[in-house]
Amino acid sequence: MILLWLLIVPLVASPLAYVLRKRHFMEAVNLAAFAVLLCLAATLGVRALRSGPVSVWDGFFYADALSALVVLLSAFVALVCSIYAVGYFRHDESNGVFREGEELGGGPAINKLREYYALTPLFVFSMILVALANNLGILWVAIEGTTLASVFLVMFYGRETSLEAAWKYAIIGGVGLSMALFGTILTYYSAHQALGTDTLAGLNWSVLVGNASQFDKPTMRLAFILILLGYGTKAGIAPMHTWKPDAYSEAPIPGAAMLAAGVLNCALYGLVRFYILSAKCLGPGFASHLLILFGLLSMGVAVPFILVQKNFRRMLAYSSIDHSGIMVLALGFGGPLGVLGMLLHMTFHSITKPLLFFCAGNVQQQLKTDLFREAKGGLIHSMPLTGAAFLMVTLAVTGAPPFSLFLSEFTILRAGFSRGYLVLAVLFITFLVAIFSGFLIHIANMVLGPDPGLPPADNCRWKRSSVAGLALVIIVMGFWIPAPLFRLIQGAVGIVTSGR
Amino acid sequence: MTFLQDPEFGDRIITLMAALVLVLQIAAVGQRWLVSSIRIFAVQSFLLAGIAGIIAYFNHASHIYIAAMLTLILKAGLLPWLLERLVRRIEIRREIEPLINAPLSILIAGGLTLVGYVVAQSFYHPEETSVRGALGHNTLAVAIALFLIGFFTMLNRRKALTQVLGLLSLENGLFLAAISLTYGMPLVVELGIFFDVLVAVMVLGILVFRIREAFDSMDVSKLRNLRE
Repeated sequence: MILLWLLIVPLVASPLAYVLRKRHFMEAVNLAAFAVLLCLAATLGVRALRSGPVSVWDGFFYADALSALVVLLSAFVALVCSIYAVGYFRHDESNGVFREGEELGGGPAINKLREYYALTPLFVFSMILVALANNLGILWVAIEGTTLASVFLVMFYGRETSLEAAWKYAIIGGVGLSMALFGTILTYYSAHQALGTDTLAGLNWSVLVGNASQFDKPTMRLAFILILLGYGTKAGIAPMHTWKPDAYSEAPIPGAAMLAAGVLNCALYGLVRFYILSAKCLGPGFASHLLILFGLLSMGVAVPFILVQKNFRRMLAYSSIDHSGIMVLALGFGGPLGVLGMLLHMTFHSITKPLLFFCAGNVQQQLKTDLFREAKGGLIHSMPLTGAAFLMVTLAVTGAPPFSLFLSEFTILRAGFSRGYLVLAVLFITFLVAIFSGFLIHIANMVLGPDPGLPPADNCRWKRSSVAGLALVIIVMGFWIPAPLFRLIQGAVGIVTSGR
Repeated sequence: MTFLQDPEFGDRIITLMAALVLVLQIAAVGQRWLVSSIRIFAVQSFLLAGIAGIIAYFNHASHIYIAAMLTLILKAGLLPWLLERLVRRIEIRREIEPLINAPLSILIAGGLTLVGYVVAQSFYHPEETSVRGALGHNTLAVAIALFLIGFFTMLNRRKALTQVLGLLSLENGLFLAAISLTYGMPLVVELGIFFDVLVAVMVLGILVFRIREAFDSMDVSKLRNLRE
């Protein structure tokens, strides 16, 4: 039953926010829905730990520890983003950002907000569905659903550049996902011969995983390549990453944060499910080499663009490309240690990334620009909280100790060394160091320095509480991972490495 | 009417229709009138619905009938109608000169068809498939060719609407692959995919319309403000 509630809550919240019309009500609906969702997700996590996989409707929806982890992370990201969104859009409204859109026929501001508050729950619904769908075809439908629900978030501001970003996002995403669909069809075909079933269960992951060793191998090979390209496009790994900087810099901050921390997990989740099948069918070697190649390529592509970046919103996107590369690489290293590194990284990244976006959003709203050139430095004087949090989260996101992403990156490094990938591990460190220095120089230049005499900002209650609260979570997680969460991650590692 | 029960006959009809689908796809590559491209897509979808119907008839698989009906209503009816309405509203009727000219494009499309055949041959083993008999790898080859040519169209054309059409023919290729390989995906999945395609076309249609209003053009090569 809990699986159905997880889906019903966001599905009800969407039309409810749409009909309520008043800003306060819409905000309240979103906040309440995502708070309930987080509680449900936590309950699901506990259930999955205690009594194994949960399923309803003959296994149509199915949640093991891996799904529960992704659901939990999605719900967490949705909640923190919705808290921040309240402050962010109120600021936008008082800044008169929507007025420009009104002249272009975008309608009054309240309509824009309605669009946001009604689409976000749908967006979250598709993310939850990705994790709960047992059927690999439904998984595909749900991932496509996340794209469709978020296209309007990308073109939210209705500027010419937003249209361009939304177009790229929709078309590149659409082509990528059609490859993933082809991969899904081929997986079905290769399983079809082994299982000989025509029923719905023939595409259920929980059924497939038991029989994966009998699948037709050449077909499965092609299927995995297509899946990697398809879901890789959605996760933004190079060379299919080109939509990412545009979409992330044009979407409103809460939407962009959900793309970066939520959809990324969903796409990688889809990839992991197929990785498990392919590892059982073909042995881990075939998938590993491809994953390592694409993972390192993504990290490598991110390096120069972060070093010479002119626009801090786009820099966040390259950081996201870098991180999805890290996770794909970790999966490629494989073994219990590599997978543990990947899932730890996914968890910590989902907690850290939203704060980076929130800080960038606060700075952008204060300066009304997203170019480093126009930020004169010394932001910490006018925005003490945001400035400090920005520096802290920069260190956290680039994997500096004592923050938790250091722990996961270190685990991945150990996995690389223990598997004998010496050269690749060294390359991994080099990329990390380059990104660390590039990131830190850019952000430090912007935050530190003499006071340029800007009026004090940082006085919105909602923005302050989301930034401070999330910063606290990140600091605490650096030193202490709650035991149930860690057990959930370990359970998920067990699923990836052994298939149950 | 004994030939109606003969699977061999069904196989031939399907191969013939698949060949027609391929011919239409290659014709679409050289086509510059938007309305004609849309109609080609509609006829193609109609033929696909026919193929699905024949497969359903010879295999007594009721869920494929539903997929065939949906293809007929959505892809051969509703979507072309929506797209034609969009063409009328944005008042752009012709594609500008594509990157690669028509004769060469058609040659490339022919080459991609060959690739489709090679790929299909490499992993399709009819002798191992179920007892009901395989549909011959011709259909699969056509499906892969449709997929690849759809890709090529999206790269080669610059009008936003033609790119949407390219995406749709990509999807048609997938539909054909699914029914020729496994007699269709499970019905729920098929329904989900139809729903997604419908929503995707609506979303893209709105985008095309907004792009046309903002840029006074539907030329996606004008979308180049966002650069490093």
